[in-house]
Amino acid sequence: MREFQPVPARPAPVKTVGPVAWARANLFSSIPNSMMTLFVMALFVYFIPPIVDWAFLSANWTGTTEDACVRDGACWVFVKAWSYQFFYGTYPEEEVWRINLMLGLLVLVIAASFTLPKHIRLKASVAAWLLLPLVGIAVLDGRLLGLNQVTTDLWGGFTLNVFMAAASIIVAFPFSFLWALGRRSEMPFIRSVSIIFIEFFRGVPVLSLFFMGSVMLPLFFAEGTNVDKLIRVWIVLIFFMSGYMAEVFRGGFQAVPSGQYEAADSIGLSYWQKILLIILPQVIKVSMPNILATFVMLFKNTTFLLIIGIPEVVQTLQTALSNSYWLGGHALEGYLFVFLVFWSSCFSMSLLARRIERQMNTDKRG
Amino acid sequence: MHKKKILAFTTLAATLVTGAASVQAATLDDVKARGTLSCGVSTGLAGFSEKDANGNWSGLDVDVCRAVAAAVLGDADAVQYKPLTAKERFTALVSGEIDMLSRNTTWTHTRDTSLGINFAGTNYYDGASFMVMKNLGVKSATELDGANACIQAGTSTELAIADYFRQHGMSYKAVTFDTSDQTRQGFESGRCDFLTSDGSQLAALRVGLSNPSDAMILPEVISKEPLGPVVRQGDDQWFNIVKWSLNAMIEAEEQGVTSANADDKRENGNPANKRLLGTEGELGTNLGLNADWAYNIVKQVGNYGESFERNVGMDSPLELERGLNASWKDGGLMYAQPMR
Repeated sequence: MREFQPVPARPAPVKTVGPVAWARANLFSSIPNSMMTLFVMALFVYFIPPIVDWAFLSANWTGTTEDACVRDGACWVFVKAWSYQFFYGTYPEEEVWRINLMLGLLVLVIAASFTLPKHIRLKASVAAWLLLPLVGIAVLDGRLLGLNQVTTDLWGGFTLNVFMAAASIIVAFPFSFLWALGRRSEMPFIRSVSIIFIEFFRGVPVLSLFFMGSVMLPLFFAEGTNVDKLIRVWIVLIFFMSGYMAEVFRGGFQAVPSGQYEAADSIGLSYWQKILLIILPQVIKVSMPNILATFVMLFKNTTFLLIIGIPEVVQTLQTALSNSYWLGGHALEGYLFVFLVFWSSCFSMSLLARRIERQMNTDKRG
Repeated sequence: MHKKKILAFTTLAATLVTGAASVQAATLDDVKARGTLSCGVSTGLAGFSEKDANGNWSGLDVDVCRAVAAAVLGDADAVQYKPLTAKERFTALVSGEIDMLSRNTTWTHTRDTSLGINFAGTNYYDGASFMVMKNLGVKSATELDGANACIQAGTSTELAIADYFRQHGMSYKAVTFDTSDQTRQGFESGRCDFLTSDGSQLAALRVGLSNPSDAMILPEVISKEPLGPVVRQGDDQWFNIVKWSLNAMIEAEEQGVTSANADDKRENGNPANKRLLGTEGELGTNLGLNADWAYNIVKQVGNYGESFERNVGMDSPLELERGLNASWKDGGLMYAQPMR
């Protein structure tokens, strides 16, 4: 018996596959498109080589002082010499393990909240998250643990941006949940208080809130009482953040079908049982993308702290630029560095966010 | 029961507040108890308060903080620097967040009389001035009629230059920039004929030029900007301490006492040296300080001249002339009230 031998498939015509075809389809499909392509290519040819030359080929890489920057290109020596301060501020070098420890803990808690076994995950990770800011303050300050005290005026640099953002969002989380519940409440007093709070902190620019925290708030304290500037700003950030997150949660509450509320009522759960056991897990799931987006926004907003002289990374950069031994105009190098650091952290956060969304997307509706 | 609780709470709060208020009055005791001086400085100003790559503060304004710490605590390094922006500096001082402010602050009538603060002296006489490229061939500001001016937006210099040109019947065209970096680049690329700012700022801008020796600063100073340390009103003892710490630096230069020869002058100097350095007289006691208060200042921080040269003068990148800030014996304005 003869077996059927199919004729091997012929390759597609050259004109429809391969790089040439791709270029024809996407870059040169019409005369205007071709002109556009050529124009953009010309721009690349014109701009890229000088930038590469400035940033790499004729850049200065070695040395520790400004005198080492003898070539025409970028003076990366500046970034190198100040890199410790850009990351850690003036935190004493022999104590810097504490900052690294806290960064490690932060990563650990993030990882734990997605990888722990399901039956303990929620309880363990909520506890870990809520403890984290307290542990952070205790470790970084050091007095409570019997370490040398590092006063808050020495904290700074990029790690301060990270910690301020993380500590504010963690504390703001439960508050914003309550504000969102209050806004949906049927009790008029609670509802109106919640609405006023949320709308105030959403309606006022974060810059003016910082000014209030740093300039006006101290005038209301009793004479002689001093609340640390960093703590004042932290409180402001928590308020600001909880206003925003409350709206995110409200959206989440509205997305949960009313049948869920009614089902919980009909099996006789109390109000808090209904909210905590039935509604909240669903709310968190639908709100996750927005929560992470809000966090990225807050993280970038922490650079505004420079306006009140908190030595976060941009403020540290400006201080470095005004040092009389580094006056030769290194603003471009410095800001590029800050840009890279922020972009890489925000981009990795959005990658993480997408992963989380996929992981949490257990139902098949979407 | 409930009422009792509220009462107890109010009493507690009241004691806390009054207790805090009485501490407030004696800044000296506060500083001694804390062991450090909390000093408000600028977030970064070349030569005046600047941080190096290792996080150490230095500068002419920082040296005033260090002098007060040396006088009160015997250790010039016992200072907690609080970097402040121009907007928050007075609030921080009045609310008690800092013990003193040494942040290139101009001593004006309005500030001195209406903000609840006292200026404890002048540690730098600044004023708006002009920088030109040498190849322009201008020797005096009166030759600048019709020129283009690079100005940083929103500074007090903007007003000073307008007044000066109107007064002299001259005209100019302002080219305004947002930051000092942009102003310098505008000047360097030839967008304008001269750049105007406070003298100390001009020096810093000049160092940033790619070829500093091409530019020169004209001799005219067109506004008065006396900069000095500031304290809260209502604590005269502390006011005296800051005032005389600065005076001790100036007086030490006048007497020729330096950080190098302070030990020798203390034992073998003339009576004025000995009074200053605490081997004779009661100067320290009258301030509520140890007898060696001024000795500590001179030994650890140096006299005013040393501080000037180290931070903004010829030993620094800024290379500012002493000018108005020379001792009165050399034709300047630095004049300490007699130490006796």
